Amino acid sequence: MSAKNLPQTAAEADIETGLPLDSDAPPLSAGYMTWFRFSRNPAALVGAFIVASVILVALFAPLIATHPDHVGAVVDFRNRHMPPSADNWMGTDKAGRDIFSRTVFGFRVSLLLVIGVLGISVPVGSALGMAAGYFGGWTERLIAGFTNVMLAMPPLVMALAIGNVLEPNLTNAMIAITLLWWTWHARLIYRVTRSIVSEDYIEAARLAGASHLHILWREILPNCISVISVKTTLDAAFVILFGATLSFLGFGVKPPTPDLGSMVADGRQFVPEMWWEVLAPGFAIFYATLGFNLLGDGLRDMFDVET
Amino acid sequence: MALLDVRDLSISFTGYGRTAQVLHGVSFSIAKGERVSLIGETGSGKSVTSKAIMGTLPENATIEGGRIAFDGLDLLALPPAERERLKGSDMSIIMQDPLSSFNPVFRIGKHLDDILRFADRRIGRPSGAQDRKRRIFETLRRVQLADADRVFDAWPHELSGGMRQRVLIALALLHKPRLLIADEPGTALDVTTQAEILKLINGLVDEEGLSLLMITHNLGVVRQTADRVLVMNKGEIVEQGPLAEVFGAPRDAYTRALMAAVPPLYGDRVENQPVSDAAPVLAMRDVSKVYRSGGIWARGEGHRAVSGVTFDVPEGEIFGIAGESGSGKTTVARMLMGLLDVTEGEVVRAPSSPGRRLTQIVYQNPGTSLNPKRTVAQTLAVPLGHIGMDRAAASARMTELMSLVKLPESYLGKYPHELSGGQKQRVSIARALAAEPKVLILDEPTSALDVSVQKTVIDLLLHLRAELGLTYVIISHDLSLMRNFCSRIAIMLRGEIVEQGTPAEVFAAPSHAYTRALIAAIPVLTEAEEALKPTVTEEERAAFLVPTTTLAEEDA
Repeated sequence: MSAKNLPQTAAEADIETGLPLDSDAPPLSAGYMTWFRFSRNPAALVGAFIVASVILVALFAPLIATHPDHVGAVVDFRNRHMPPSADNWMGTDKAGRDIFSRTVFGFRVSLLLVIGVLGISVPVGSALGMAAGYFGGWTERLIAGFTNVMLAMPPLVMALAIGNVLEPNLTNAMIAITLLWWTWHARLIYRVTRSIVSEDYIEAARLAGASHLHILWREILPNCISVISVKTTLDAAFVILFGATLSFLGFGVKPPTPDLGSMVADGRQFVPEMWWEVLAPGFAIFYATLGFNLLGDGLRDMFDVET
Repeated sequence: MALLDVRDLSISFTGYGRTAQVLHGVSFSIAKGERVSLIGETGSGKSVTSKAIMGTLPENATIEGGRIAFDGLDLLALPPAERERLKGSDMSIIMQDPLSSFNPVFRIGKHLDDILRFADRRIGRPSGAQDRKRRIFETLRRVQLADADRVFDAWPHELSGGMRQRVLIALALLHKPRLLIADEPGTALDVTTQAEILKLINGLVDEEGLSLLMITHNLGVVRQTADRVLVMNKGEIVEQGPLAEVFGAPRDAYTRALMAAVPPLYGDRVENQPVSDAAPVLAMRDVSKVYRSGGIWARGEGHRAVSGVTFDVPEGEIFGIAGESGSGKTTVARMLMGLLDVTEGEVVRAPSSPGRRLTQIVYQNPGTSLNPKRTVAQTLAVPLGHIGMDRAAASARMTELMSLVKLPESYLGKYPHELSGGQKQRVSIARALAAEPKVLILDEPTSALDVSVQKTVIDLLLHLRAELGLTYVIISHDLSLMRNFCSRIAIMLRGEIVEQGTPAEVFAAPSHAYTRALIAAIPVLTEAEEALKPTVTEEERAAFLVPTTTLAEEDA
């Protein structure tokens, strides 16, 4: 929208934003203002681009990978430990498998982990946090107490314990992370809900006869969505890192499935001579984590919320 | 020569890719020792004008043209450092909000000392701590704060709102400025405190020969503090002239509308609302409320917010509960609604229609009373659904409600941020009416609105009462509003009703000294009204009002 289209009589402006308060100009929609803030934030745009590229690579991994078959139990000892070449862009590992192809498929595992962990812990944590903040009293004490107990457990130790008791694989790693991850969402959404509950419009809804379910679902949740989406995006980065850490320690994905963390662990013993063995997976972890972090920060600025 | 001369000042703001011009060729001047008031409503550009003079415009503001001369200096052409040097020394501004202008972790003395030290450094005259303390004490005495050393060592929370406002004035006076800008001073304070603050500013301007630029939306305040008046509307000065001329015979239509919107306290324009002799729809019988702190193990009395309150609200009347902050009027309203339990006594309620509440509420702050994520239609659907309307009936009723509160039907699809304050308040009224109550509780329904908008909302409420046969209970601190809006009022002081009756009786012959003090403090528009106000003695004031010059005793 160009300045030309604005009525020049628009004298009443908000001192903070310079926007007409009550002028003849049509008010800007919330969506437009939000997008405007996002689009003027280069870091956020870079973050959005990185995240989009990670998702696309994961989706189309079979098309992008040069050696899709190397993802499975393939052994080609004649070509082991080969440096980057025209055929193997990122070199080969100790079993002679193409590192580039395995890294591309590694994104899939990371994103699966993110979807699995956040797909469960975000709704569960948000629901518990909202319930605690809205109902208060014993509900609040019970949920807050349980959340605090769970928060007291060191996540890595918990994950390793679960990995030890059960079989170390992707599903169990997911379960282990999920068991602890919801607590952070519960706490955050609890705090947000507490501040929303004291607003006049919640009391007005109650006086108008709205049910608890209506107030939680229709009045409070829409006001939490921006906080939840920022927190979820930032969390995606942490889940990728955490998953990589578990795999690095040998409690994550079972071989031969390519996982960024276990690829770094495998290549670690041949560094520095065979530096290419950790370069691609290491960079991939860095790239995805950075992308989600930038995007999350950008969303935070865009929605103007605290997490 | 004028001390301040503003010529053809035009300013625009840029935001979200749009540019909007907010000042259009504003010109005025202030002579030495002259008091000038700039009147305008929200968004008229009055604060932008003061920021432009002080040089504190936000980054997205552009000065498109014009000049500002201060004592012959062209301010807009000055290098930033020299401009900075004028701030706080030659011209200073009195901050608006005494409650949030202090950092709670620093003592009052530290706030004053910091300002003085930095201002001294800016004008290149560093000063010693002792010298600064002496000057601060002197300034504190100028704003009539008794025992300056105790105030100097006090924490912000130990001072009443009025005392903090005095300290804010002291902050502005530290460097003996020649131009004092006051941006809505005391609006956040009770009316009795505000009156004292205005008296103080007037006295200072008189004694020290300062020039004053008073920015306000309250015309009563203007009458007390101005020699000359500027009326601003939509970024333009629509009328200016000596006070008596502008107030006596306003030429511009906007000025006339503004003056007509101010509710009168005395005189022919005053309206009397009819008293009804119907049975009470709500009543309180010797009601008290005690807040106990610290849970069930706490000993002691607790805080007695309301005690021994008794009144009747006959059906069809507008019952007003007046009082300053902390008087317990909000607690009474919440007990009436059944949102709070009474500690002693009884609330008597008439039976309500089946499935409906007897009372609904319209809140003070239009900004927080509507859910920002829900459209007007979604907001209205909740009460309509609760009283058992199906979708088709609810949609027809919504159209009806919108026309009742005089909003276009198309506004049903709008979100709160697309509405102005007055429009939001109309939606709040529609939401309350949708639940079909017999009584509306109005919690300061217009205090967040401009005076012209206030008038339209009050007119709407009066119209709705006549049309729908509603009963209102209004709680407010605005006595001039209540004089014209209420059938009956009760004055509350520290949790008790000290006086009640019809407004005509109460205003003609207030029996309690506190009522007299309250009425006397209301800024009015004409000398005739001023003469009709009751008088209060200093002893009476001291007995009932919060002190603004001395610290409370330790046990208070």
